[in-house]
Amino acid sequence: MNVRSLIGLLVVLALGVLFWWGMQTKDQRSELPTALAGRQAPTFEMELLDAYTGKWGQKLNLGDYLGKKPIVLNFWASWCTVCYEEASVVEAAWRRWGKQVMFVGVDTQDERSKGNEFVARFGLTFPNVYDPRGKIGIDYGMYGVPETFVISRAGKVVERHAGAVDAPTLEKMIREVLK
Amino acid sequence: MKRWLLVLLLLAVPVAAQTVGNQPPPDYSPKVFEIAKKLRCPVCRGESAAESNAGVTQEMRRQIAEMLKEGKSEDEIIQYFVDRYTNWILYEPPKKGLGLVVWLAPVLGLLIFGLGFYAYTRAAAQREAAMVDVDDAEIARVEAELEERSRSGGKS
Amino acid sequence: MIPAAVGDVSLVVAVLFSLLGLLAAVAAWYSRDARYIQMAKRAALVSFLGTLAAFAALEWALLSDDFSVIYVASNSTRANPTWVKFATLWAALEGSILLWALFQTLYTWLAGRRMRDYWISPVALGTLFVIQLFFLVNVLFVINPFIVLPHPPSDGPGPNPLLQNHWMMAVHPILMYLGFVGLSVPFAYAIAAMWTRRYQTWVTETKWWLIIAWGFLTAAIYAGGWWSYEVLGWGGYWGWDPVENASFIPWLLATAFLHTAMVQERRGLFRTWNFALVTLAFAATVFGTFLTRSGVIESVHAFAGGPVGPIFLSFLLVILAVGFGLLGRVSSEVRDVGAVQPLSREGLLLFGALVLVTMAFVVILGTLFPLLVEAFNGAKVSVGAPFFNQLFVPLGYLLLLLMGLGPVLPWRRAEPETLRVVVWMAIALVLGTALGLVVGWTLWVSLTVGFVLFNLVALGWLSFGPALRRARATGASPLKTFFSQFAHSHRRFGGYTVHLGVIVAALAISFSQSYRLDVQKTLDIGQKWNVVGRDIVVHKLRLVREPYRDSVVADVEVSGLGVAHPRLNYYRSSQTPFASPAVTYTWLKDYYLVLQAFDQEKGSWVTLRLVVTPLVLWLWISAGIIIFGTLLILWPTAAPVAGSEVSREAAI
Repeated sequence: MNVRSLIGLLVVLALGVLFWWGMQTKDQRSELPTALAGRQAPTFEMELLDAYTGKWGQKLNLGDYLGKKPIVLNFWASWCTVCYEEASVVEAAWRRWGKQVMFVGVDTQDERSKGNEFVARFGLTFPNVYDPRGKIGIDYGMYGVPETFVISRAGKVVERHAGAVDAPTLEKMIREVLK
Repeated sequence: MKRWLLVLLLLAVPVAAQTVGNQPPPDYSPKVFEIAKKLRCPVCRGESAAESNAGVTQEMRRQIAEMLKEGKSEDEIIQYFVDRYTNWILYEPPKKGLGLVVWLAPVLGLLIFGLGFYAYTRAAAQREAAMVDVDDAEIARVEAELEERSRSGGKS
Repeated sequence: MIPAAVGDVSLVVAVLFSLLGLLAAVAAWYSRDARYIQMAKRAALVSFLGTLAAFAALEWALLSDDFSVIYVASNSTRANPTWVKFATLWAALEGSILLWALFQTLYTWLAGRRMRDYWISPVALGTLFVIQLFFLVNVLFVINPFIVLPHPPSDGPGPNPLLQNHWMMAVHPILMYLGFVGLSVPFAYAIAAMWTRRYQTWVTETKWWLIIAWGFLTAAIYAGGWWSYEVLGWGGYWGWDPVENASFIPWLLATAFLHTAMVQERRGLFRTWNFALVTLAFAATVFGTFLTRSGVIESVHAFAGGPVGPIFLSFLLVILAVGFGLLGRVSSEVRDVGAVQPLSREGLLLFGALVLVTMAFVVILGTLFPLLVEAFNGAKVSVGAPFFNQLFVPLGYLLLLLMGLGPVLPWRRAEPETLRVVVWMAIALVLGTALGLVVGWTLWVSLTVGFVLFNLVALGWLSFGPALRRARATGASPLKTFFSQFAHSHRRFGGYTVHLGVIVAALAISFSQSYRLDVQKTLDIGQKWNVVGRDIVVHKLRLVREPYRDSVVADVEVSGLGVAHPRLNYYRSSQTPFASPAVTYTWLKDYYLVLQAFDQEKGSWVTLRLVVTPLVLWLWISAGIIIFGTLLILWPTAAPVAGSEVSREAAI
């Protein structure tokens, strides 16, 4: 076997290994790390959905909580089917850790009436703001609902979870910021 | 575990091509689309923010228009998105570090294949110059082939 | 139920006869008995008919709404029009591989019919049988579309709405597979040539197959571009999407091979390269399928994975290993003898092949780069249209330069008198570029204009020069002389026609990429919008109901050009509306309207996106020119006397 055949063989093998790796990891690779990790969380002031105006006022300003309490920020929409899976998980976590951790939901690119229906259906008691344009989502570098961010007590973004969050994952994320 | 994610990303854009709350989207100048073309659509994979009609890209175009109105430069606007989405949002890989490899691909290709072609043709030319010599292996091969041919020729 | 049984049985027949054909080919090789070749050829016909029956069975199931068949249940729906149901066969993975298998068996049969060479035939046929077995076995055992559901649903979700949105989506895959499969014949001959150690004649024997495959690939790429333009609603025809790249790589390699094959035919050079190139070109068709079906690289049109990824990857590696393994074994024998002058036809064909292979390299590296970077350091990067566009501009000029110069130069070495036309070509290049700059076009566009003139002078000289010279010598009418030359050597003129098509395409691409206007505006019904010298008025917004979709249609008048109907289609199978743009073509620019949004309550306003792009019509015209040129090349030279086998053989 001469040098040329050897190089050819190595190139073919390398491609094979690369593709094999690509196929094995395609599911993990579809998740992007957040660009904001370790950076100050962007703040916003947004109108709340109808159910929350009585207790929290017309608008919610995230700046009121940033740097005071850890925050769980949950992006969802009524048109997103998997959001229906995770809504009760987030609500349960809020009931458990609500004293130590602030929870804010963001209804993204939705119709207000449908967002109201959604929170009523799952009895969501943590405040949910209404973001028809999806402005906050872009500020957080979100690429699809649902996504969940945890923000540390110091107001820095710690981690993002893309896709519906399950109870153990959410618990792990919350414990991370409670440390 | 995340198998559904891509499916979700492809499906979860039903507000596309229609506005929320029946408000018309703003008017855009050509510059908006020019900038949007350099950014990728975060949810669709394979389309730029100028092409896609997903909700996110509609908002991206709107923000580009707003920033242009505020007098921001193209670089500043692009940086705004890079800060939020990393370099992944850019359809042009960075021209430094590892990214340089792909930018130099044409030079690399021309060099590798060009050297290969050069060596190849030079060897062929040298062989022509030295035509008189037929090496023994070649003669043996031709003889073997002729013999085989004469052996099997009767059958057909 | 019955179609499924028919389909499965037909597939089993096809597989068994492919195996039989393979065995017959092996027997023919070892026994040197021509009767086995006859047997293999007949087996090829039977396995084609078997696959055809399986295809018909699946069409039967689709057209009769037999939802007990898994493929119908997961990809079709009752309300669809008949043509959509018919085309649903290749709308998803299982059916497309069945279609691929069908074309492969057809090509095996047709290629077998034309095989005369006693040495090469068994190996070439055997290789084709192995390739078709790969597809047939996969359709039968791995991704069988005929699985019967115990509890059939009463209706299915229907295919991807993008398919239903335009008939071109039904045509594009057929052309693409015909092109992909066509490349298997030259590949099989190359394998046979290396196996039997007959290194020279296979390029001549497979030239027609190669040109047919090339023609289909070209048509498929154009069809895909046209579909993108007419359906996707962003006013572009090429997005450097991984799926598009996957079809472009085989085209580039096949084009390179087409040109170096000419050198081998003429001078017996580049023989090793041709073996390598044809292997790469065929491998690229499988590589493209692997890329788009395995989920290795995400893309809008990528279909969800399944077991197909590893299977196609293995097939790809086997092709490369067999092709290059054989080449490595014989490369010490396939020694070219002969010098190549850089300034000669073969020299420039070599340079052209170099540029085309480099282009393929850039596309491959660019497409795989995100994967490579991630494997290397975990970072995420994107490589897209802005990147490829920038790199392909200089490579494109290089190609235009070589394309003009190559055919003008004679074989072996350039003579001084041919250089006279080169001077004229250079003048045209400079004048064209200067003219463009004076008009105020960008440097790149002006350069393209220069290169287009450069090529036109070359093509004019090549086409009309000989006729004029001959007419002057004989005193006959130049026009008559031209036509008689055209009829006599239509292949040569076919080549020139294809080149003419390519330079028209270059002009269209350059202008449409450089001078595109893209605006969005919300208009009240009846409001006049003055833009790019035209008045645009929306007269009406209406709802159109069809059994399988509802559409919102805007009647938009573009002054002087009539009424266009951009629409939003709401399919039953999808929550997302799909925009159908309306394109009004004129010779110089297109007015491309997309309905972005509309007033859902009172219907009093609409948001329109307007894209004005120059010369896109000429891109489609260039497709016609190239295909016409390809047909000219393929047109038989002398009509063979009916029934005379001898004359046909002589023609080959």
